[in-house]
Parts: sequence; structure tokens; C-alpha cells
Amino acid sequence: MNSDYLKKIKRNDRLAHWAITIGGLAIILCVVFILVLIVEVSLPLFISPDAQQTASIASPNGPESKVLAIGMDEYLETGYTINTSGEMRFVSFKDSGVLDQVSLQSPTGPQSLLAVETYGRLNHVLHWQDGSLTVEQVRFRPEFDEHNNNQRHIMHQLEHLGEFPAPDPAEGRAQLTQARIDADGRQTRVDLLADGRLQLQQRELSENLLGEQELSESRQILDLDKVTSIKVLTLSDNGMQLYAGSTNGELLHWDLSEVGEAELRDHLQAFADKRAITSLSLVFGDVSLAVGDDKGQVTTWFTVRNDDGGRTLTRIHNLSSHAGAVTGLSHSLRDKTLVSQGSDGLRFDYMTSERFLLGINPAGAIHNYALTTRGDGLIVLTGQGELIAWKLRIPHPEISFKTLFRKVWYEGYDEPAYVWQSSASTDDYEPKLSLTPLIFGSLKGTFYAMLFAVPLAIFGAIYTSQFARPRLRGMIKPAVEVMAAVPTVIIGFLAALWLAPLIERSLGSLFLSLILVPVALMLSILIWQGARKFEPLKRVERGFEFLAVVPVIIGTLMIASTLGPGMENWLFAGDLKQWLFNELGTRYDPRNCIIIAFAMGFAVVPIIFTIAEDALSNVPPSLKAASLALGASRWQTVWRVILPSASPGIFAGTMIGFGRAVGETMIVLMATGNTAIMDLSIFNGMRPLSANIAVEIPEAPVDGSLYRVLFLSAVILFVLTFIVNTLAEIVRQRLRAKYGRF
Amino acid sequence: MKKPHKTNRYWGVGEPLVWLSGAALSLTLLSALTLLIVIMVNGLGVFWPSPLQQLKLKDGSQVIGMQTQVDESADGTGMRHQYKIANRDLYGLDFRWIDEIDVESRSTPPELLVLERSEYGDFYGRLQSLQLRDWQESRAVTLTELQSSLQQVVSEKAALNELNAKLMGVSHQSENLRLKLQKLDYQKVDPQDSQRLALVAQKDVLDHEFSNLSKVQGERVGKIRRSTATFADASGQEKEISLADIVQVYTPNQMTLSKKILFYASKLWELVSAEPRESNTEGGLFPAIFGTVMLIFVMSLFSFPMGVIAAVYLREYAKEGLLVRIVRIAVNNLAGIPSIVYGIFGLGFFVYGIGHSIDVLFFPERLPTPTFGTGGLLWASLTLALLTVPVVIVATEEALGAIPREMREGSYALGATKFQTLCRVLLPMASPGILTGLILAMARAAGEVAPLMITGVVKLAPALPLDGNFPFLHLDRKFMHLGFHIYDIGFQSPNVEAAKPMVFVTALLLVLIVLLMSSIAIRLRNKMKKRYTFGTF
Repeated sequence: MNSDYLKKIKRNDRLAHWAITIGGLAIILCVVFILVLIVEVSLPLFISPDAQQTASIASPNGPESKVLAIGMDEYLETGYTINTSGEMRFVSFKDSGVLDQVSLQSPTGPQSLLAVETYGRLNHVLHWQDGSLTVEQVRFRPEFDEHNNNQRHIMHQLEHLGEFPAPDPAEGRAQLTQARIDADGRQTRVDLLADGRLQLQQRELSENLLGEQELSESRQILDLDKVTSIKVLTLSDNGMQLYAGSTNGELLHWDLSEVGEAELRDHLQAFADKRAITSLSLVFGDVSLAVGDDKGQVTTWFTVRNDDGGRTLTRIHNLSSHAGAVTGLSHSLRDKTLVSQGSDGLRFDYMTSERFLLGINPAGAIHNYALTTRGDGLIVLTGQGELIAWKLRIPHPEISFKTLFRKVWYEGYDEPAYVWQSSASTDDYEPKLSLTPLIFGSLKGTFYAMLFAVPLAIFGAIYTSQFARPRLRGMIKPAVEVMAAVPTVIIGFLAALWLAPLIERSLGSLFLSLILVPVALMLSILIWQGARKFEPLKRVERGFEFLAVVPVIIGTLMIASTLGPGMENWLFAGDLKQWLFNELGTRYDPRNCIIIAFAMGFAVVPIIFTIAEDALSNVPPSLKAASLALGASRWQTVWRVILPSASPGIFAGTMIGFGRAVGETMIVLMATGNTAIMDLSIFNGMRPLSANIAVEIPEAPVDGSLYRVLFLSAVILFVLTFIVNTLAEIVRQRLRAKYGRF
Repeated sequence: MKKPHKTNRYWGVGEPLVWLSGAALSLTLLSALTLLIVIMVNGLGVFWPSPLQQLKLKDGSQVIGMQTQVDESADGTGMRHQYKIANRDLYGLDFRWIDEIDVESRSTPPELLVLERSEYGDFYGRLQSLQLRDWQESRAVTLTELQSSLQQVVSEKAALNELNAKLMGVSHQSENLRLKLQKLDYQKVDPQDSQRLALVAQKDVLDHEFSNLSKVQGERVGKIRRSTATFADASGQEKEISLADIVQVYTPNQMTLSKKILFYASKLWELVSAEPRESNTEGGLFPAIFGTVMLIFVMSLFSFPMGVIAAVYLREYAKEGLLVRIVRIAVNNLAGIPSIVYGIFGLGFFVYGIGHSIDVLFFPERLPTPTFGTGGLLWASLTLALLTVPVVIVATEEALGAIPREMREGSYALGATKFQTLCRVLLPMASPGILTGLILAMARAAGEVAPLMITGVVKLAPALPLDGNFPFLHLDRKFMHLGFHIYDIGFQSPNVEAAKPMVFVTALLLVLIVLLMSSIAIRLRNKMKKRYTFGTF
């Protein structure tokens, strides 16, 4: 033979060997790869946040003891400081050069600054020596230079929002002052006077019905309810809510929304041990109040409905604690992140998840700090006169094991709950991403479907493999296999548009047939005992029983559907659904678990049936023959000999059916109603993991929390089905080894 | 020893349980049958022209409608009938329930018409008059005259369609030029570059042509629309309808059986060949059928070779051992992973991963508008290919495993290499089995919807993925799919009641396709099983 040809075919053979091996292995790696990818997408949810120091420069505005406030733009490029002489300096973090210098003016001529308070988006309230206040807003805006390769410059701008006049010098200097100017120009000022009284001044310009400007102004002393030792105050950004804390651990809350009619809403002993409240701040959204005390604890509070119908301020979350007293509290402007200051540095906590995010403790005490408006940058002035900028990476602060799987007390809720609610119309809305109701929904739907499918499929398989005529068997099995190919979208649409209204209309008949069908079957078997004595009829017993049963089943169903309404009239006052609601308190949803049991059961039956039938018919015939020869009846043989030998296969089929039901999407999407409730009732719907992914992923922003949580739910589905399928497969392989063929 | 009582014996040996297991089987089969019957009954009857009834109600009002359902009335005093009364633009509702006791008389006047319109659904009523555009005033005409004018309008519309096609071509060319210019700008080519200037000039010519053509088109449409006919509903309320909006006119009450059958056949043809109308609730399914076929085809291109190679490796090349066992488990696991997980994988990996990278590398000038970085035919096909690969693997493995060892040994003994044995002996012998796997995979792909929903299927695709414009096959385009069509019109449609017939028809079509494919596959497999059973001693 031509040796070239031999070489060629040998080379081809080797090449094919490698190509096929590599190709085969690569395809098999897909499974691993799919898992790796979806895990990789969901993993950042659990990465611990970190902070990266981006710049450190010397304070441009004199010694740190004279600096009253600092701030920074969102790009972490420009910082600014305000010192006691009213000098404001903007400094570049790139080259530590001073960019701009502004002298802030008091309303009454040059004087020194006492304090600066910051609220909202870089609004600074300047407290002047004589008690007058001015409010200045710093604005940053990026500008792109088109002629110079689109280089970015950060432009800054100062806007004077308003001022408060100096009080009568006779009143003495206030211990504490807070002031706000809201978007409509409404001014609110609260002073804690030297004698411990709390004075409120409000000024509002509003338009009356005739379109004229109307000025309402008021000054009043707030009712302190005998509290004497108030040390800290905080006002909401719009100036409508005032909170105060005392050195005895008391909290007070006033509602200031009506000018001149301040109302004390809450007064309570917040801490039983009367520890001093050292710091107060509202959390983003101005609903929750954060409280820092001298034991270093940070807690958050909001009003909750109490037993007698009113609403009281209640302690909700306990956040991480400092070694010493909490000296400062502030919040992010994007989410429910809180920053607390103590002698051991700054600690970042997320309120709802009670998750400690990160701590920052630079060398030298923290003299002053500020967050950027986007919440991802931090600027700190240390005791050593250094201005340090940090880039914070806190990608998903609201996600923790607890928020995903445990009960969480969300803002505005009366108790902790499992909630899935991924979006709403407002900006300060907090997504509620609890996977528990979804997992519950998946398992609930699967449970009811299996309840329906498993007996039907296994008994059907037993009958087909053991009792049916071989010729019929050759027709039944392909028929059931074809049934497995019916697209689930069709089953789902029939379940929702045809079955759901049908069952809603004839719920009574359904329950009636649940009782009548078994009774009728038993009755017909009893009658059969007499009838089978006739020889021609007895032939039915040899493999045609299932056909003989059909008229009984159909007849009973028809009887049930005619009697159903009558039964409802007689027993349940005409309306079973109403009766269920009145007597048992269960609401009947039109798309409920009965529908799911039928529809998903229908999808799962063929899968279990096929595998179980395979297992049953592969039990060696010798076993069956031996059993029958020993005098066992055909049912005894099946029940005691064949079923035990085939049980691993039946188990495998059930497991694979379970995996199929858990992951089924279209049926549950159409026929469950998709409400994420946790209720075991068969008359309610649910929202399973799979349908939830299909509904929410098209709208989820890429790499956002929702997107990653949805990938996480895909991981859960994957792992669930993986375990179940692997179990089934191992059992099947064992069985295959035992009986040689399968 | 006492002989046990006969009745006890019958119960004792478990004979009733045999009956009960038989009942379980018949329940299973009955439910499958019910599903088929419900779809058939609801789907097949949709296009049958049932008689139009004119009802005179006791309150004096008149209703024209087709009876659709009968039910017990709400107060239980008698029966009530649901009628399709159409004329959505006049009444707002397509359907109306009428209690039997409210009806005074029923008749089926032969002159009643059904108008199929391109908007607002059907119109039921009588012909009043016709006003062609060159007539001074409207005249009362017969139905035949209306039909012939309609014929004329249809031919005018056909001419208009040619113009439309031309218009589409020009706009496509212009769009291509725009993208080229965008690319040049992105590459920072000098605006005065001769090549660029030539492109700009070319584009100007095309844009000019486009505006001319669209002006002509607008004029012609206006001209066609000026021919109108006036119809009256049951109560005599008149409605003027442009002939261009009328798709078809027929008088169901005058139709003979043969005419009805012809009509039915023509409606079936329309179903598979026409475009959908009225937010998919009327008209045809052609784009959805075409999209499904394309999807299955592209999917098979990927999943068939992948599956066969993996199976050949597993059965012929890999050494039996722990690894192969693990791999088998992995493959069977792939088959059991929920389809939505494949979907989310496809979205994360294909669409946002590979698709986005392709955009960055090859179409950076179009960003942030995605080209491949959004769902499309290619990504949906690849996702489905992954989903169906295990089906092909399992079937191919089974087929290879069923070939007796003697065949391989005979081939080796004759001096063939492993690869030659594979190509010339094993694969041909296993081909029915492989084919079975492929058909089963296709059937699965035809019925799968969940992964498609997030990787590129849409309710109404503006263009088919295959057309006459270069490069002819547009794998980046979104597409329509029969399964998604069912979900969309059944659940997202604003008028669910009016959409129902279409859902059932689509479901019937899909069920027929899938059942046909899988029965062929199962038959093939069963035949093959018999073929090789001689080998086992």
C-alpha cells in the first residue's frame, strides 16, 4: 500500500482524535462555565467595600483648628475649606494648588465665623459672631473643553441662598443653632438658648387665593415637656421636622410643618439606662432618625403604629458601635448609609441591612469630614493639618445575607417582613430585595404540582409497564413522550385563559369531583366483581382496564359539574369563594395553586412517567416470573418485587420532575398572578424565582443591585436543580450498572 | 384449611389497585386529550364564517353579531349568549352578552356584510353607498360593484407597495452611508477628505430621491384614500370607510358550504403568509413563523456539530472511568438546568459580554446605540443551542452505544483507523439516532420561550432577519417567535377578549409543528431500537 496514503490517514486519525477530544471536553466545560459566569456576576454583591486614598495635601487654609467646614466635588478633584475668618479656599487635589479664594460676607459687616453646619447638597449654614446666619450653597459642574481633547474641568460656583438676622443681643448667645432654607424659600431657625429654652423662628412666603404674596412669620418658644438637659438637635432638610436629644437619654420630636403651630409629637425615654444622647442625624429620605450616644452605640428610629392605634417613635436598627462616645453623625445623599464619628475614627453603616461597611481611621484625629454628594468620596481634615481624599467603593450596601433571606424591618413598615419590591416611582425609595418569598413561591408551586403529578405518573407507569397489553404499551409510551413535547407556553396560556376561568366558575364541582371520582371508581370496581363472572367481559381484565375506566371517570365528572352549583347553593350559600372568605378567611385568587398543580403537573407527568416506566420495564423478567410462579398475584408481584427493584429509577424520575417544576418559567409566569406573598393556601398565587427573573431582568440596569440579585436567584435555581439532577443521575447510573441495560 | 371468601380474595390480591393504576393512566391520557381538543375546538373554528344574526331586543334596539358563547345568565333565570358585535370604533367593545329573555326576535338577513379592516377590527352592517374619488356624489351600489372597486383599489395598492419597496431600498442605502460617514468621523478623517465628500454628495442625492419618492407616495396614498364607501350598523348609524382600509368584504349569510370552505382555506393561507395587524390580534403570522424557522435553523447550525462531537468523544474516545461518569452527570445536568437560567446566562455572557465587546471592537462609532450588544437572533440561537446540546448528545450517544461491538471490530480488522471507522461505519449507522436527537432539539427550541424573552424576541419586529439588503442575513436583528406571540397577545394585549381567537390559532399551529416534529423523532427512535436488538445475546 502507498505509504504516503498510510501516513495521511494516520495523520488524519491523530488530528481527529485531538480535535474531538478537545471539542468534547470544551463543550463539557460549558456546564462549569455557565455556573462560573452567573456566580461571577452575582458575587460582587458580597464583596466587602473598601476605600482608597486618592490624595493627601496640606490644608490650604491655615491650621486645622481654624477650619470649620470642608467639602469636595464628585470627581474627587477639587476640595474646599472654610475657616474662622470667613475665608473659603478651593484647592486642586492634583497639584495642591489653590484654585480660588472667596471671602464670605456676614449680613452685618466683617466679623468672625463661629461655626458652620452642613446639610443637603453642600448647603452651608454659617454662624457669625453676632448670631446672624447666612446660607451658602457650593455647586460643582464638570465642563468639557472641546478644543483640548475633551479635557474635563470642574467649575465651582457659590450661591447665596438666604440669611437670618442677628437676634436681640440681650438674649445672650445660643448654645446651639440649626437653620434650613427649603426649595420654596421657607426659612426655619431653631436656637437652643443659653437658659435651656428652645426657640423656633419660621418665615414663609406663600401665595394666597388671589395670587398675592403673603408673608407669614412666627417666633415661639417650644414646649419642652419638662426636659431640661437638651444637648443635640437636628432638623430635616426641609425644616419641617425637629428632633432633640437630652443628656438623660430622652428623645423629642416636633412637627413644624404649619408655621407658628409647632407640635410636640413624641417624647420618650429612648434608653432605659439614661445614657446621654450625643449626636443626632436624619437618614436620607428624612424618615428615619439616627441616634448616637455616649456608649458609642448608633441606633436608628422611626415612627411605627403602636397598640392603641397611634404612632410612636420606635427603635428599629442597631448599627455598629464605637469604642467611645459618638461625636458626629451624617448620612449619604444616595442611600441609607450612615457615617458616625468617634474617637476611633469613622464608621460606615447601612441602616436597613445593619451592615457595617467600612471604617476609616487615619493617623491623627479626625478634625472634620465630609461626603461627596454621590456618596462615593470622603474628604477628611486630620489633626495634623492634612486634607485627605478617599474614593469609596461600596457597590451594593443594601445587600447582605440578612436582607436577602431574613426578615427585615423596612422604613415605614410596622414590623419586620420578607418583601420583594424592586422598584418604585420616587428617588429616595429603597429597593426591597428579599429572595425568601420567591424561593417560597417556587417550592410551593412545585410542591402542589408534584402532589398532583407524582401519583398519577407513577401509577400510570406501573400500569403501562406491567398490566397493559404490549401492543397498547407501544402506543401509550410514545403518546406520553409526545405529551412531554407540548410547549409550556401553550400549557401556561391554556391554564390562565381557559382553565382558570373554568375552575373559578365551577370550584364547587371541582371539589365535588374530588370526592365523587374515587367513590365512583370504588363502586364500579364493586360492580365489576359481579360482572366479571361473564367470560367475554373478563377479557377486559387483561390489559384493557384503563379503557374501561374512562366512561366512569367522564361520567362522574359530568355528574359533578351538574351537581356542583346545586351543592354550592345548599352547603355554601351559593358561593363557595365567598364562603371561603367569610368562614375560613382565605381569599380566592383566580390564578392560584390549583391551576398551577394542574398545569405544571401536566408538564411534569410525562417526564416522571417516561423514566419510571423505563425503570419498571427494565426489571429482569425472571424476577417477575419467579414471583408469579410462587403464587403471588399480579399486583402483589408488582408491589413487592418489581416496585422495590425499580424504586431507584422511580426516585430518579421524581427528582428530575422536581427539577423541571422548580425551574419552569412560562407556566408560572402566566398562571400564578406573580404576587410575592408567603401564604401556603392553595387558593393563592405566588411569585417564583424563575418567573421573577423573566419579569424583572429586561428592566434591570446592568451591574446594578437588582441585576446581580437576579443572577443570584439564577444561581440558586441552578444549584437546586444541580443537586437534584446529580442525585437522580447517580441513582440511575447505579441502576444501569445493576441491570446491565437501561 | 378454610378457603378464604371469594370477595376477600379479590380485594386481598390487590385487583382493585390494578384498576386504580389504570385509572391514573387514563386520567393522564384524558388530560392530554382535553388539551388537544380545547385547542382544536377553539383554534379551528376561528376562521369559519358563522352566520351574522340581527337581533331585535325588547327595549327596541337592534344588534348585529356573531354568536360566540352560551352560558347561564348571571341571575340564573335563563341562558345568555355572547355575541361578537365588532364595530370597535363605534361601540368601543367587540363583545356583548345578551340575556335570552331580552331578545324579541332573531333573523339572518342575507345582505349583512362583514368588513375586514386594517384598523379597528371588523365591521358588521349594511352597504349604503359608494363614493369613488372621480364621482361627484355618492351612489347606492350593489355588492358586486363595491367588490370591483375594491379590486381596483387593491391593484392600486399593489403599485404603491412597489413604490414602498423602492423607498425602503433608498432609505436603507442612505442609512448605510450615514453609518459610513459616522465611522469616518469617528476615525477623525478630515471633513474635506475627498472620499468623505464623495460620500456626502452620494447621501445628498439619495436623500433628495427619498424626499421626492415619499412625496409621490404621500400623494398617491391621499388619492387612494379618497374613494370611500358608507356603511350602516344595526341601528342605522352611518360610517364612512375608505376603501383602502378594507381588507376584505363578505356576506356570510349568503355563503354556500363550498364557498365557506374556500373562504376558510383562503383565511388559513392568509394566516401563514400575511403580516399581523391590529397589534398582532388579526392578520397573519408570517413574521413569527419565519422568525421561529430562522431561529431553529441557526440554532441547529451550532448545536448539531457541538452535540455530535461531544457524544463521539464520550462514547468513542474517552476512557471509561470517573471522569466520563462525571461528564455524563454534567451533560444530564445541562439538560435539567431551567431554561430561564440559560436565558440569563445568554443575556450576561452573549449579549452584555461578547456582544458588547464586538460593538466596542467593530462598531465603536455607533455607540452608545448597540449593534450586537442587545438581544438578537444570533444570541437567542446560541442560547438555545446550549439548551439543546444535551438532547443531541444523549441521543447520539444512545445511537452509538446501540451499534454492536462487532461492527467496530470488523472495521478495525480490515485495517481502518479509528477515524475512518467513525466516519464510514459508525456515524452512518447511527444517523437515524442522531437525526432523532436533532429533531427533538428542534422541537424543544420551537416551544421554548423563557430564554428568548430576554435574549432578543420582540412582539413586532420592524424587519425580517433575512432580506434583500447586504449582507442578506442580519443576525443582529430582533425577531418574532410563535411561542412568544402566544404569550404576548394572550397576556400583554390591551384587548384580551378580541385577541383570544388569535392566541388559540397560534397555539394550534405551534402545537401541530411541535407534535409533528416530536412524533417523527420518536418513531425514528423506536424503529432504530428494533434495528439493532439482534446484537444482544
